[in-house]
Amino acid sequence: MQIARRPTETWTEHPSPGSIVLDTRDLSKVYGRGKQRFEAVKQVSLTLHQGEVLAFLGPNGAGKTTTIKMMAGLVRPTQGRVTVAGEDPHRQPRALRHIGAVLEGNRNLYWRLTPAENLDYFGVLRQVPRQLAHRRGLELLARFGLEEKRNTPVQKLSRGQQQKVAIAVALIHNPRLLLLDEPTLGLDVEAGEMVKALVRQIAQEGRAILLTTHQLDVAEELADRVAIIRRGRIIAEQSTEALLREFSGSTYHLEVDGELSPPQIHTVTQLGATVRGTQITYAGTPENLYALLGALSPVPLVAVQRDRADLTQVFLKLVKDQPESSP
Amino acid sequence: MIDLLYAELKRTWIQFIRYPTEVISGIVIIMAVFYGLFASAQYMAGPGFAFGDRLDAVVIGYALWTLIISVNNDIAINLQIEAETGTLEQVFLSPFGAPRVFLARAFASLALRLVILMVVLLLLMGISGSRLAFPPTLLLPLASLLLAGYGLAFLMGAAALVFKRVQQILGIFQFLLLFLLAAPLEEATGPMQYLRFLLPMLPSTGLLRDLMARGLGLDWVTYALALLNGLVYFALGMLVFRWAEATAKQRGSLSGY
Ligand SMILES: Nc1ncnc2c1ncn2[C@@H]1O[C@H](COP(=O)(O)OP(=O)(O)O)[C@@H](O)[C@H]1O
Ligand SMILES: [Mg+2]
Repeated sequence: MQIARRPTETWTEHPSPGSIVLDTRDLSKVYGRGKQRFEAVKQVSLTLHQGEVLAFLGPNGAGKTTTIKMMAGLVRPTQGRVTVAGEDPHRQPRALRHIGAVLEGNRNLYWRLTPAENLDYFGVLRQVPRQLAHRRGLELLARFGLEEKRNTPVQKLSRGQQQKVAIAVALIHNPRLLLLDEPTLGLDVEAGEMVKALVRQIAQEGRAILLTTHQLDVAEELADRVAIIRRGRIIAEQSTEALLREFSGSTYHLEVDGELSPPQIHTVTQLGATVRGTQITYAGTPENLYALLGALSPVPLVAVQRDRADLTQVFLKLVKDQPESSP
Repeated sequence: MIDLLYAELKRTWIQFIRYPTEVISGIVIIMAVFYGLFASAQYMAGPGFAFGDRLDAVVIGYALWTLIISVNNDIAINLQIEAETGTLEQVFLSPFGAPRVFLARAFASLALRLVILMVVLLLLMGISGSRLAFPPTLLLPLASLLLAGYGLAFLMGAAALVFKRVQQILGIFQFLLLFLLAAPLEEATGPMQYLRFLLPMLPSTGLLRDLMARGLGLDWVTYALALLNGLVYFALGMLVFRWAEATAKQRGSLSGY
């Protein structure tokens, strides 16, 4: 089936919000042969919608880069299939119009060229008409706060600035899918924060973003959904929220402003909470929590907080729990 | 496609000109080698000997040799460097497809090298007193020569994609090419008379020497064969390059892995 495509896309136009941008089925990759044979990726199936950020999380060597390159048409899958906006990047080079990618490492750019020249060049390479590429390039540089560095050769920029230029270059053709392989790796804290903010901004424009990382905080801060990969296989895939909730305890910590009266302390203890001064700890059902809150009235509340797992705990738990050869 | 060509020309030019010491040293080396070749040819021929168009023939052969190998090197060495540094994958992300991008690159590289070569040739003609002719018909055998030359460039590019380190291959290749291009095999007798039509570019270089050094007209039958030669080598280069691209994607070796 062929879907008619408009020849010109404007800068922000993205057809049918919520549509599937990336779809992979049973992607597998075997490197080498015989003794060298190594199964790097095993049956990875993922779907990514417009405007969604998916973090591909896993330790080094788990197969993240291999998977992302299979999606970009740079590594041929041994098995399985990739479609980006309905087209297969391995069969139709045209499908690459929908893909922007910043790959691992610091060299996605020509170091002898300036940011503006890189943007001009890659724009044309991605089939954007020359004038339009130039205009968009200037827009992106302005947006990314790189106007002053426009005419400085890339090799003289800081690592963080280089990464921003690389992201700008990946966006020059207004792709629907942005692939980022370890976008914050090797950046100092400040540059890392800057790149994270940028990723959030780009997601808000309605692009689908898939980023790989082995840094849990990056995934937790940026992703709507997390896929955890280990030894080439996805061992968990859920919304970040759900994953965190699932692994969170059900203990609540409450804090009040002022003394509880002895009858209040009695009721609260009856409901299964323990009181220590202004701190109350409760491990009962969520329903009884309201009875507890009622019993505290009218003493002002300072905080009600549920114990919350962070991705580090989830990750460690999952990686420990999974047997060596899970199906 | 025009935009792509323009973009490649601009990129090639900027990368070339941004470091002027490299440019100047490059030109000085070509000049020195050329001059050495002249001097030794004249020395061997002896002062009293009328070297005449024989010398011109050697000059043309050598000029074409530098042209072809510099385009080949541009393609193959840059491919290798870009694989190591990481920009190659960005290039393979182009919806044009790698063969078209590299064809544009080969054109850009040729344009740049042709300009340098013209400068060098004019200077040398001044030094040596050699008088080369530039009739417009020379564009025809030049085209068939370049077709075959591009074919070879794509073969070398394919080697760079598959083997990673191409310096040795390029070295041997340059040596063989020098042999093929500088020697006026079109004057050969015996089996070489016919075999030269099978070797890359040889029928075209013979014609170029006819036109530029010997003051002869274009022999159309020979030209048809030269064109066929060019087309066959070009097609072969493209085919092998596509195979190499598929192999590199199979091995996951477009990056420096
Ligand atoms: N081109 C290749 N040839 C052979 N093995 C490879 C190649 N690329 C990656 N690998 C291996 O595959 C595994 C997964 O690598 P990779 O996808 O880079 O993981 P990650 O990005 O999660 O760190 C690693 O063990 C790595 O050594
Ligand atoms: Mg990786």
